[in-house]
Amino acid sequence: MNDRNLLRGLFIVAISLVFGIGALGYQIGHFDRPGPGLFPLMVSCLLLLIGVITVVRSRFVERVPVAFNVRNIAIILASLCGFALISEHLNMIAGIVFMVFCAAFAGSSYSVVRNLKVAAGLIVVALAFQKLLGFNLPLY
Amino acid sequence: MDVLHNLAFGFAHALTWQNLLFCAIGCTVGTLVGLLPGLGPLATISILLPLTYSIPTTGALIMLAGIYYGAQYGDSVSAITMKIPHASSIVACIDGYQMTLKGKTGLALFTAGVSSFIGGTVAIVVLSLFAPMLGEVAFLFGPADYCALMLVGFVCVSFVTTGSLLNGLAMCLIGVLLGQIGTDVNSGQQRFTMDFPFLAEGVGLISIALGCFGIAEITKNLDNKDERTPFNGEINLIPTWPEFKRIIPSALRGSVIGSFLGILPGGGPVIAQFAAYAVDKKVSKYKHEIGSGAIEGVAGQAAADEAAARTSFIPLMSIGIPENAVMALMMAAFIIKGIQPGPNMIAGHPELFWGLVASMWVGNCFLIVLNVPLVRYWLSVFKIPYAVLFPSILFFCCIGTFSVNNNLDDIFITAVFGFIGYAFLRLDLDPAPLMLGFILGPMLEENFRRALLISRGSFGIFFTRPISGVLLSVIGLFVLWQLAAFFWQARKANVARGLANIAPASLEG
Repeated sequence: MNDRNLLRGLFIVAISLVFGIGALGYQIGHFDRPGPGLFPLMVSCLLLLIGVITVVRSRFVERVPVAFNVRNIAIILASLCGFALISEHLNMIAGIVFMVFCAAFAGSSYSVVRNLKVAAGLIVVALAFQKLLGFNLPLY
Repeated sequence: MDVLHNLAFGFAHALTWQNLLFCAIGCTVGTLVGLLPGLGPLATISILLPLTYSIPTTGALIMLAGIYYGAQYGDSVSAITMKIPHASSIVACIDGYQMTLKGKTGLALFTAGVSSFIGGTVAIVVLSLFAPMLGEVAFLFGPADYCALMLVGFVCVSFVTTGSLLNGLAMCLIGVLLGQIGTDVNSGQQRFTMDFPFLAEGVGLISIALGCFGIAEITKNLDNKDERTPFNGEINLIPTWPEFKRIIPSALRGSVIGSFLGILPGGGPVIAQFAAYAVDKKVSKYKHEIGSGAIEGVAGQAAADEAAARTSFIPLMSIGIPENAVMALMMAAFIIKGIQPGPNMIAGHPELFWGLVASMWVGNCFLIVLNVPLVRYWLSVFKIPYAVLFPSILFFCCIGTFSVNNNLDDIFITAVFGFIGYAFLRLDLDPAPLMLGFILGPMLEENFRRALLISRGSFGIFFTRPISGVLLSVIGLFVLWQLAAFFWQARKANVARGLANIAPASLEG
């Protein structure tokens, strides 16, 4: 099952089905008076075709395993979402500090001092954006 | 002489203090970010696009263009010194890095800088001559022709950037479908919004770009854990006269090849580099040295790279159809600024068009100063450890997403696309065609529906009009050729397997 070519095909098929079935819910219309559902339906059908070809083709080519590293992407996404949540409810400076400390777990080494320096540097950059370039950042 | 007059007009706009400053900032920042590992022009532009929101139109576009070709330059520097294979500077890794291994880094950087300058200059001449001409042709295009042209673009980009027509086309179509999210302009129907109000206006371009290029790239680099060996920075830039003489012919060849390939749909820097390198390998006086660190191997491709980067503006500005993903992002930037690129742009906003052309030459001068005498200072960028770099890139992604609408919720969308982008990456799907599909999708639908309305529902219109007929038959031939190639390869593999099965049996016999 861990075959990159097969998974890719299935992934494409899944996307085409999501959009294709969604498109059926809108008015399709006729070719001389196309409704909002016609174009997405056509594109999804084409995509479905490509997905099916990819699945079939994966039976004939060599298998390549997928290297999906859940840990790093999870850490990065958590730090992004944390940044957004903390900036929304507290302020952005706290958000920056959280993001730097959380994201650093994904690196190959962890150093509190380095994180503090990076966070301080980024806060200075954010202040410069706010004061000099007129960005509307909720820093504090 | 019209062209000279127009160029003078352009320089009058490009040489104001303000625009000079924007050009300089764009080139510098572009080079700087382009030097960083894993950040090619696409990622650089998408991260820096929000910075230009508060700048006047001409200045903003001059700055963006500067960021783009600055990033191209920066890429080749990191390719030569560190062999960091960026998507846009693969060829520079071959001979450029070989020269570094021989201790001729300075010479390689000098060659790349000077050749890029030559390439850029030739391309600007081509740009100012051909863009207005092509603009006249564009008036002949009807909706069906636009559809066909966009499809040609999809096929070419899919094939060129990913090497696999199937994967690339799938990404284009996924992009088109993502572009469908939001309100349908013809009927007012909300499509695929799942009743989320923030999706009514569609998914943000910046969220997709930063998710797929910024977040996914960072995670990929973290997965690889590649520790880079810091470059020692010992370089000697000044070449000898015979060395300098070897640069010129190769660079000129590269410029011509690059200028031509940059105009074609799906063309652009990547394919131009390969073509120029291949030509140099065939016709250069020193062809036996190419591959093992020859000046020609660096000069030709650097010139072609820079030339194609600039001439790829031609289809965007004269027809209004971007021919590759970077140009699609540029087009988005034009539209954000309220300018619709297309045949009317040159006539409607001459100060913008000619100002941009002139600024490219100004930018060229900035870049040669930045990249030849000052290049040793840039190399210290490589000393920044990735552990410091990646939180900073993440931060810029956040600020970039936020500043589009001053809305923190957009960061969640970016995170979602970061995850999707990472999945694409791991499934070996290149996100560049997705960007093109996403930006062209709404245009494709608009023109498709218009063409069907004109023809009263008959698909004949796509085949009977000369322009779209020719373009669609080109696509048909290409798909047939791909199919044939696949079956031929499969048969060859089968025959080989058959032989392998027979051989042991006959030995035993």
